[in-house]
Amino acid sequence: MSSTVADALDHEHDDHGPTKGIGRWLFSTNHKDIGTMYLIFSLTMFFIGGAMAMVIRSELAVPGLQFVHPEFFNSMTTMHALIMVFGAVMPAFVGLANWMIPLMIGAPDMALPRMNNWSFWILPVAFGILLSTLLMPGGAPASGWTMYPPLVLQTGDAFPFLIFSVHLMGISSIMGAINVIVTIINMRAPDMSLLKMPMFVWMWLITAYLLIAVMPVLAGAVTMLLTDQFFGTSFFLAAGGGDPVMFQHIFWFFGHPEVYIMILPAFGVVSEIIPTFSRKKLFGHDSMVYAGSSIAFLSFIVWAHHMFTVGMPLTGQMFFMFATMLIAVPTGVKVFNWVATMWRGAMTFETPMLFSLAFVFLFTIGGFSGLMLAIAPADIQYHDTYFVVAHFHYVLVPGSIFAIMAGAYYWLPKWTGHMYNETLGKAHFWLSTIFVNVTFFPMHFLGLAGMPRRIPDYSTQFADFNTIASIGAFGFGLSQLIFVWIVVTAWRGEKATDRVWEGSHGLEWTVPSPAPWHTFTTPPKARIAEEAFE
Amino acid sequence: MSPVDEQRKKGIRRTALIVAAIAVAFYVGFILMGVLRS
Repeated sequence: MSSTVADALDHEHDDHGPTKGIGRWLFSTNHKDIGTMYLIFSLTMFFIGGAMAMVIRSELAVPGLQFVHPEFFNSMTTMHALIMVFGAVMPAFVGLANWMIPLMIGAPDMALPRMNNWSFWILPVAFGILLSTLLMPGGAPASGWTMYPPLVLQTGDAFPFLIFSVHLMGISSIMGAINVIVTIINMRAPDMSLLKMPMFVWMWLITAYLLIAVMPVLAGAVTMLLTDQFFGTSFFLAAGGGDPVMFQHIFWFFGHPEVYIMILPAFGVVSEIIPTFSRKKLFGHDSMVYAGSSIAFLSFIVWAHHMFTVGMPLTGQMFFMFATMLIAVPTGVKVFNWVATMWRGAMTFETPMLFSLAFVFLFTIGGFSGLMLAIAPADIQYHDTYFVVAHFHYVLVPGSIFAIMAGAYYWLPKWTGHMYNETLGKAHFWLSTIFVNVTFFPMHFLGLAGMPRRIPDYSTQFADFNTIASIGAFGFGLSQLIFVWIVVTAWRGEKATDRVWEGSHGLEWTVPSPAPWHTFTTPPKARIAEEAFE
Repeated sequence: MSPVDEQRKKGIRRTALIVAAIAVAFYVGFILMGVLRS
């Protein structure tokens, strides 16, 4: 029985392909199959979470209560966030990692293929449990994805299922992270030093360390909630001598690095795409690595900027304010390097590049509104308003999700062996970009005007911008159907070459398109492959 | 299995054990640290 990929490679691999039927997917230890499953799972969750967003935006399209009970509205905001964060964005990046990291570093597979299978199959169970809470007495969790006590302790029968599913998601993420680290440390092509690794691999290595460091913190926090509810403890119950604010500290000690877990791999994707379509090498490769590492380090010392309004000493406010602002420095380094890479490049604007350019521009808008929120006295005005909703959606939708889309278009020909429909790809890009701004930009104005978040009804003064945001949300949601159509019909396009893109570099472009089921059974020479592209 | 593969296998096992030990220690540690402090 083989437990590592080295064992599995002990025998000749060319003599068999994938097994037939459902067994191929249930018992797969192949990184490409598991990557595909992660990506399909993520897309499914994206549409389920998106459907919940449509419920939210339908209710908010005009003032008054229209369609849903306020308690169900709260369940929708909670479930939308949990599903998008843990079910859509994170698994999508794990899917890209599974597919591309072994190909980029010249490894035959992930280092621990069986654990890889487990990491994936835990996820449908976790989200099956989470989604089943919609049918339970008392309804689905409605306390927000932050699960603040004492509100979360009012959850009905769904409460232990919520905690259990969060544990499962955490365990899945940690197992995936262990696999990424072990693969990158041990299975690189012999002449690929750490600083020669592609940027996507680097950003994922940093992300994996973040995951191992912070997912256990979330596990600890939700377990304490569980014992408060069922075992008579009072960690967060003021009546028993506990402190509900402590939960916020613990949660955000996980929660802020979690933000970077969702954006560092996006930085990696964009750092692969921009050089390809600029036909230049990435500007400042090493500084990108140091910037990514700095962002990861700083993410551990800024958590309390999420909770300026709970009250803290002035020194604490100053520390967290300045530490947060400091993150703009390494982030600025990255944005500068992407722009410098494009500078005087022979740029073309295929769909992956368009999504990457939109990422750079729109993520930076999200970054700037983050800086505004970092200013402690200003945050007291912005806190819990739609300004915050606008900020984190700019970071996560045209940020993380656009990077995922860019990566999907970029690598789709390598996965399928066929070029996707470029015209439809561009239509998908333009519609997504227009509607994402129509949806989220007005939320800045709503927030500055004082509209609170997580409410099903609002004062009539906020009506116009809410209607615009709702129109944008439906437009954005419908635009994503184009992406599904492009993926489903991807096998009809013209045959892709091995290199696919004129300016692409790296080991993944040396293998045939579509990538065979087994690749790099003999470790490649990364330097020779790179020179062949020059 | 060639000596290079043998070496790689050892490396994978060693790194996997170290990283998994850290992850489990964190996971169980944070839970116990929280719950036992009551």
